[in-house]
Amino acid sequence: MSVADYAQRERVQLAGATVVALLIAAAVFTFVFDIALERLLTVGFLTRSLEMATPIALAAIGGLYAEKSGVFNIGLEGFMIFGAFSAAATMYLLGGTSPSQLDVWLAIAIAVLISAILTVFFAVLLIHFKADQIVAGLAVWFLGLGFAPFTAAIIWGSRSSPGLESINSLAFGQSPLVVLTVIVVLASWVFLYRTKYGYWIQAAGENPEALDTAGVDVNRVRYATVIFSGAMAGLGGAVLLAHAGNFVGTGETMVDGRGWIGIVAYLFGNYNPIGAAAAALLFGGLDMLNVQFQTVGIEVSARLVNLLPYAAVIVVLTAWGKTRMPSSVGEPYESED
Amino acid sequence: MTTSNVPPAVRLEGITKRFGDVVANDDVDFTLEKGSIHAVLGENGSGKTTLMSVLYGLYDQDEGEIVIDGEPRAVESPRDAMAAGVGMIHQHFQLVETMTVLQNIVLGHEPTENGLVDESAARDDVEEICSRYDFDVDEFLDTRVEELDLGAQQRVEIVKSLYRGAEILILDEPTAVLTPQEVESLMAVMNDLRADGRSLIFISHKLDEALGIADDITVLRDGEAIGTVRAEDTDEQELARMMVGREVLFDRLSREAEPGDPALEVEELWMSGDRGRDQVQGVDLTVREGEILGIAGVQGNGQSELVEGITGLRSVDDGSIRLGNEEITDRSRRARIESGIAYIPEDRQTEGLVQEYSLVRNALLGNQTVEPYATGGRIDWSAVKDHAEEIIEEFDVQPPTVENDAESLSGGNQQKFIVGREIGHDPDVMIAAHPTRGVDIGSIEFIHNRLIELREEGLAILVVSSKLEEIQKLSDRIAVMYEGEFVDVVDPERVTEEELGLLMTGGSLEDDVTEETETDTEAQA
Amino acid sequence: MSSGVGRLRTGLDRAAAKMLDATVLERIGIAIGSTALALLIGLVIVAASGYDPIQFANQLVVGSFGSERAIARTLRYSTLFVLAGVSVAIAFRAGVFNIGVQGQFIVGGFATVVSIVSLAPYLPDGTIGGVALMVIGTIAAIVAGGLYAALPGVLKAYGGANEIITTIMLNFIAIGFVGWLVAGRFGDPEATATRTERMPDTVGFPSVVFDDPNLSIVGILVTVVVVVVVAAVMTRTSFGYDMVTSGYQESAATYSGVDAKRMIVSTMTFSGMVAGLGGAIFAIMIQGYFTDPSGIGNYGFDAIAVSLLAANNPLGVVPAGLLFGGLESSSSHIQINSDVPVQLIDGIVGLVVLFVAVPELFRMIARRTGLGGESR
Repeated sequence: MSVADYAQRERVQLAGATVVALLIAAAVFTFVFDIALERLLTVGFLTRSLEMATPIALAAIGGLYAEKSGVFNIGLEGFMIFGAFSAAATMYLLGGTSPSQLDVWLAIAIAVLISAILTVFFAVLLIHFKADQIVAGLAVWFLGLGFAPFTAAIIWGSRSSPGLESINSLAFGQSPLVVLTVIVVLASWVFLYRTKYGYWIQAAGENPEALDTAGVDVNRVRYATVIFSGAMAGLGGAVLLAHAGNFVGTGETMVDGRGWIGIVAYLFGNYNPIGAAAAALLFGGLDMLNVQFQTVGIEVSARLVNLLPYAAVIVVLTAWGKTRMPSSVGEPYESED
Repeated sequence: MTTSNVPPAVRLEGITKRFGDVVANDDVDFTLEKGSIHAVLGENGSGKTTLMSVLYGLYDQDEGEIVIDGEPRAVESPRDAMAAGVGMIHQHFQLVETMTVLQNIVLGHEPTENGLVDESAARDDVEEICSRYDFDVDEFLDTRVEELDLGAQQRVEIVKSLYRGAEILILDEPTAVLTPQEVESLMAVMNDLRADGRSLIFISHKLDEALGIADDITVLRDGEAIGTVRAEDTDEQELARMMVGREVLFDRLSREAEPGDPALEVEELWMSGDRGRDQVQGVDLTVREGEILGIAGVQGNGQSELVEGITGLRSVDDGSIRLGNEEITDRSRRARIESGIAYIPEDRQTEGLVQEYSLVRNALLGNQTVEPYATGGRIDWSAVKDHAEEIIEEFDVQPPTVENDAESLSGGNQQKFIVGREIGHDPDVMIAAHPTRGVDIGSIEFIHNRLIELREEGLAILVVSSKLEEIQKLSDRIAVMYEGEFVDVVDPERVTEEELGLLMTGGSLEDDVTEETETDTEAQA
Repeated sequence: MSSGVGRLRTGLDRAAAKMLDATVLERIGIAIGSTALALLIGLVIVAASGYDPIQFANQLVVGSFGSERAIARTLRYSTLFVLAGVSVAIAFRAGVFNIGVQGQFIVGGFATVVSIVSLAPYLPDGTIGGVALMVIGTIAAIVAGGLYAALPGVLKAYGGANEIITTIMLNFIAIGFVGWLVAGRFGDPEATATRTERMPDTVGFPSVVFDDPNLSIVGILVTVVVVVVVAAVMTRTSFGYDMVTSGYQESAATYSGVDAKRMIVSTMTFSGMVAGLGGAIFAIMIQGYFTDPSGIGNYGFDAIAVSLLAANNPLGVVPAGLLFGGLESSSSHIQINSDVPVQLIDGIVGLVVLFVAVPELFRMIARRTGLGGESR
């Protein structure tokens, strides 16, 4: 039996093994550097990991819905930038530099709405005009990198916003947005695997003809999921902003690759919303571990640690091959009639 | 036929369907009686799948009418067909592999409760259908389709159609993917469905299966309905004659040169098909210089794999292939081209030509490492262009413009171009797979004459075809292939078409036409 | 029609016939349409933000081609866009989607700097040593870029891993890993910015023709040679025929003797070699050292649009690369000479990329407005 065969049969185990390997690596680190584990894995660490994970998880959920239905939305990163920026701009327009908590919530809602509207255009280009999904998705990223800082410069005279407001924590220092994300993750799991619309989404990506002959309009399903994916990525960006409290538009912006990591997360989570969220948590934890290492004085390059998800996804893809991807991703669907 | 008050389940009247210049169905009439099984027989390309796709709404007919249960219907999409109670089991199953059997069956018609799919209601419905027809599908409702074998997937498809309320079922070559045991259980299922009053159309090219299960049999050939017969009133020989026909009487061209040394030798060749089963099972063959060996057989009996094995497009599991005295079993496709094997491929659209290339660029296809067209990796386009012009002139390719894209040519002209190019290789061995499929009569004659000329020039030629008259006309010896083996090798002068038809469907002959007396049970060509 | 010499006329007729070839014309139309629409939207945004669109348009032109300096700057960026664009075109023509040109470019450029800096002490000073170092550094870049692209090729051919995703991931890995090396092991402790040691002064192309320290005729020549060589390989060699045929119709390529798996790996390697060479030009001609790759610009990503704009034709990449080079160049100008936030140019580039991805959109516009000529 080849490695690929083995891996195909043992899908979940491979992801599990990766997690175990990471944990062992962590253990080795703590041993080598003689750091007590409890100093690393504090309650604060868990809280912050969850906070780091939420934007990634939300974008991942959106991306996996689109891809499940047969459309590769590679523009998640761009939509996250638009989401984060729209939230900041709305917050500023509502309450200046000292917006209220209500403004924060309103800003999140409006950011989702704006991202969804932008995605409608994107969806029309992809589905109706059969745009090249990869190139159009990259374009969304460039548009985000260009227009968000541009508009920021017009509003604030600088690519970044002044300090605005973060969302208030609930009890135990937990962000309400983390709770919201958990609900979204669970709901999207139920929706995908337990409702008829979820069945349609899966069929649209795997065998659109089968869905069409069952009397369901494939492209309508795809429009819905693509728009949802943009809205979720926008929500992810808004959540990121609501945790940070101000917009940063320099360099790769404050989103800084989280949309790409979102894609990695759902690939890693085998297109399962809960798996994707778990992967997001893993990556969020990895991110926080860097911070944690620094605070306890361990010299590990954050940059290298941050590459682990990318490397892992290459290994996973090679071992699992193409069988995992919905088989009709990237193919525009034209009904026979 | 007995008259009854019940209107037929389906009546197709004067259906004509054209694809460009090609007439796929030519004024076809067809009647499916209620509660019966009607087999539609025909070779590949005879138009049977097209006809059924018209009925199922996948194609719109150009002319003709569809009457279902006595009512004329406009069937413009599968949805319309389903609404009229017509379900179709395609050769390629319309199943979502990653979803469970139950999810696939209810897809698009899910019972829901509180917004969620009501799995238990769905399960009850499906189990009811299964118990009514004694299906085993309810035993694996929660298994993903991808984990099922093809026979089980097919039963899922049937249950899916029944769940959607199909009264009329079209099964497109349903036995092609099944093992003999699975075929038997499918036949039992079809019997049960008929007994329950449903009407079935069974598309096939296997005579025995049609005779075994159907009430009526309609034979299609070249897009036309040749005739409809009651199964009880006919036999394999008559059906075989109807299927292969003999419209154009070809004269066998007498030979002048005697065959020389063996040019191509295949020994004990074993090969797997795409589905992993043994498609070629220990085939031996020899083609001599100045000889045409014809391989006859119904499509899907291992001929395609055999040809791909010889030409280097598919790896062999066991056995050896020799070209002259050289062992070439492990050589790449390119090395085989360079050592002198020319190949007229089965599929000219996807293999033989690059559709968006001009004829000049297509003249290089397969020649890109051969002198004088390429020297040391550099292409000499003027030599290639000259070659293209030669082909066009010598093979009368119309329109005679080398700058035209291949896709703008008709099938016959495309084929003539390919034949010309492959002959231009100056090969020692020519493999011609269905060299005249879908080609007009004039081009057929032309291609046949060229192949005969080449034989006279001393080329060793292997021709694979499902057209018997072609095989009989061209071949010096005919090997009949059935289920991966050569069942017999016969002399084309002495064998009759009926006898060939019988061999092609797995029968055997008295020894008088067999060319060589075999000590083995297996034939050797 | 002109009444020129007969010979000239036949030549022109032939050229005209080629130009009128509907697909060529259509592709050019789509390229111009995408660019024009993107610029138009950009100007509308400028106006909507309260700036003067005429002035902005003027600055776009002045900033890209308005002075010798601007032209030099445009050519400098264009060489990089052209090289990266050719790299993308190679892969796309063969039907392999190398989205990893950015990473291959970075790995190549870094290999140049590392090999030159580490070998410099062992080679003589002066021009000969400098030339030798540049040759070695360029070869190192080509090899490194080729290998870094071969990896996803192998993973696709023999492991079935989708190259679109693996190459994207490898971009991030290249950025992160090289960035880590630049900041650490290969960093220059004396430099204030994060960068490697500077390459010796002898390493650098001579400044002739253009009076710009960051542009040399040598860089332009290398680029032109690459374009010509790649175009010749694609149209005049067996390997190129194998490659392009694989892109058009894989089954026909296999029939003609192409080993599909090996072809994927060779295509990726060839593509990555050109990307690596681009990195070498970037390092030698422009930077002189290597900085953190997260800040060097999106040449490899934009190259996808450059290549698509050129319909993946290596010769067409030249005008497309000039367009992107011009936009990049004018953004340097606008940053200094205009109040309009310069990120707008990035946005316009994004729009060009977006529209290039949607040829159907322009076909529809052409049909609606009757610009498309006879319906095909």
